[in-house]
Amino acid sequence: MTASATRVIAQPKMKKPGLSWPIILIGSILVLVVCMFPFVWMGLSSIKTLKELYSVPPIWWPAVPTFDNYYKVLFESNIPRYFLNSVIISVGSTGLALILAIFASYGFARFDFKGKPYLQAFILVGQLLPTAAIIVPLFITLRVLGLVNTYWGLILVYMIVTLPLSVWMLTSYFRAVPVEVEEAAILDGASRLGVLFRITLPLSLPGLVAVIVYAFVTTWNEFIFALCFATDSSVKTLPIGLAEFSTEFNTDWGAVMAASVVMTVPIALLFLVFQKMFVGGLTAGATKG
Amino acid sequence: MKSQTGLLFVLPALIVLFMLIAYPVAYTGLLSVTDGNGHLVGFKNFAAVLKPRVTTQAFINTIYWVFGSIVFQVVLGTLTAILLNQSFFGRGALRAITLIPWVVPGIVAATTWAWMFHTEFGIINYMMTGSGVLQSPIGWLTNKDTVMPVLIAINVWKLFPFVAIMVLAGLQSIPNDLYEAARVDGASFWEEVWYVMLPSVRPVITAVTLLLVIWGLNSITIIYAITRGGPANKTLITPIQIFRLAFESFQFNQAAALSVIFFGVAIVVVFIYIKVLSAQPGEAK
Repeated sequence: MTASATRVIAQPKMKKPGLSWPIILIGSILVLVVCMFPFVWMGLSSIKTLKELYSVPPIWWPAVPTFDNYYKVLFESNIPRYFLNSVIISVGSTGLALILAIFASYGFARFDFKGKPYLQAFILVGQLLPTAAIIVPLFITLRVLGLVNTYWGLILVYMIVTLPLSVWMLTSYFRAVPVEVEEAAILDGASRLGVLFRITLPLSLPGLVAVIVYAFVTTWNEFIFALCFATDSSVKTLPIGLAEFSTEFNTDWGAVMAASVVMTVPIALLFLVFQKMFVGGLTAGATKG
Repeated sequence: MKSQTGLLFVLPALIVLFMLIAYPVAYTGLLSVTDGNGHLVGFKNFAAVLKPRVTTQAFINTIYWVFGSIVFQVVLGTLTAILLNQSFFGRGALRAITLIPWVVPGIVAATTWAWMFHTEFGIINYMMTGSGVLQSPIGWLTNKDTVMPVLIAINVWKLFPFVAIMVLAGLQSIPNDLYEAARVDGASFWEEVWYVMLPSVRPVITAVTLLLVIWGLNSITIIYAITRGGPANKTLITPIQIFRLAFESFQFNQAAALSVIFFGVAIVVVFIYIKVLSAQPGEAK
């Protein structure tokens, strides 16, 4: 009797069964610690003196924070130069990928033409390609074109990594813009390009931001191509600089951690500012199919 | 008329990708059957690259690396997604923080974890010996038995956030009436997870897994930065072997032969995966 009564009362507004709060709390703390602890340790290590770094047992908090490691990284190493190279290459390849992706996505989203499904599939295959399998011929091709150890070499090669997913993400954004809006503009005498740049692009701003953040982060972090195609210090990027830091200074861990901080901060800031749009753009493709 | 306009928009991107993908793939094929002077040598390069025991070992290591990573990435990622799908204070912040390991450069993750796993001065050995889990410090990255699991753990840490965010997006697009139906039947939370959430996000999980396979086959950064394939080739995976053949031994043709084999195996894996996927019965659409 009581049971059925409560059920009747409970039915209109059933409480959503969920995890109990202790489990949520423990889970959240666990996720937080697992994700953040390495960065905390990286930051702490970067402001320790050599003696504090190499002490057994390890010291948690440095007695007096030191900025010697940062001084070493910023004024006595190649890291600033590599930072500049990274910025040039990342901005260049992000810009190029964006321009190519805007046109390609618009073509895929708004037009029907022969072989379209195959061409779309070809672009996606680019994302599925094992990069290790094409390092060798790419290197030879770049060498023939005289692009090894140039900014352009890496900027071009990074199209393999960024362009396919960029086209994919932007296409789904362009499709979401109502065709009627464009048709109205064309009736008013706007050209196709005018429509694209004055109407469709402004309406797809979140998608553009997602693509920019994705392409920038990917190229900023890229390691293998940079390792193979940029062997001269005039074009080496930050990831390579960090990798050689450990040998150059006989693994001076304080400096390595300081360099890691220098390298992580810009990307973390960029990501946290645009986090919502980025995640939206990324997951749009997955959930809409 | 209309068909040409569309193609015109698409063409620049296609040309760039064709130049960077189709041409090198074809060129790899050519390199693999020629010698350094461009003379055809048949399958000599393949024989030369397949003979050493290290090639077999690298293949086994690659499989170990890819599957070991994926199992934990998917399980931990899905659990995190279920947690983040709950409503609680600070959820948005936690979601952003969860993504950070994925966004930071792989090389930063590699060096930071290498420092934490340092035998003498690493914080992990200190915490484990201090709490009594270990009697004495372990050389995590130099011991033949621990090095691969440790590298896999680092790779899992780097990529489970990606799984979490994708699965979370899938969870949030589940229509509410599915939950309500489950509740009318008196389902508990974990029954809801099993009968409502997991079946609904299965397409997302399978798509993400495919990406993880590809990324696993591509991942050189973490292993190369920490161990370069050592100790005693225990962590040598095929992509690193290709890289070393080409850029350390300058055996471009043998590297190309190995690339062709690797490429072929990768395509077969992806193809089987897609076939299995599309053949799966009972897909609730």
